[in-house]
Amino acid sequence: MSTGPGRFAPRHGTAAAVDAGLQPERTTLSWSRTLLALVTVSAISLRWTPLYGAAILLVPGGALLGALVIGATQRRATARRVRAIHEETGITRWSGKASLVALVTCLGLVLIWLITRS
Amino acid sequence: MPAWQKNPNDPRGLAARALLPGGAEPDPRLTLANERTFLAWIRTSLALMAGGIAVEAFAIEIFEPAVREGVAILLLALGMLLSGGAFVRWVGVERAMRHQAPLPIPLIAPLLAGGGAVSAAIVAAVILTR
Repeated sequence: MSTGPGRFAPRHGTAAAVDAGLQPERTTLSWSRTLLALVTVSAISLRWTPLYGAAILLVPGGALLGALVIGATQRRATARRVRAIHEETGITRWSGKASLVALVTCLGLVLIWLITRS
Repeated sequence: MPAWQKNPNDPRGLAARALLPGGAEPDPRLTLANERTFLAWIRTSLALMAGGIAVEAFAIEIFEPAVREGVAILLLALGMLLSGGAFVRWVGVERAMRHQAPLPIPLIAPLLAGGGAVSAAIVAAVILTR
């Protein structure tokens, strides 16, 4: 029996090769789940269209925009995470998180404004 | 040294130095774990907001308009508070890790438990007394 790398072992360095705990992959999946949660909020809020008219489109539009930005940035972000673990350097980033919180707060404010306006 | 003064030993930007002063960069694995916890709280807040939207959109026949709007606003406000609290907690944990201090107590956990319990109690009371 061969003692070499298995048939499915990666030829090149991957996230698993760098970090056995799969930290970069798990973090990217966590962002992907957040993206899906934003898409869900966007889809459910479309049910408000008969109640509140066109102004409600701010909410699905904003949530979808946030989801698109997350989707567009994750490839590069994953590479940055792999590199940080490989080189044992810090990777603290605050701006993406602050933007996400600002988006969620704005969505909530628009929704509450729509309810209280009617 | 104040955050607005340039520090040759700390090449980070002004905002990062003001938000996370001093200490040393934590192990990237710990930073990523903190990031995933923050994202889990954000998804919780998004789920609460989806619940608020659903109460207003799908429960029109069940509730009085005032109760329905009250529950929807309560869930939306709770979602917003939790998302802000998630960022405060992320900063608190990151600061603690930079200084190798004990992690702060999560104040948003009792907020979520209390808010969820109050919302569920209101909905249950309305359904039972209908």
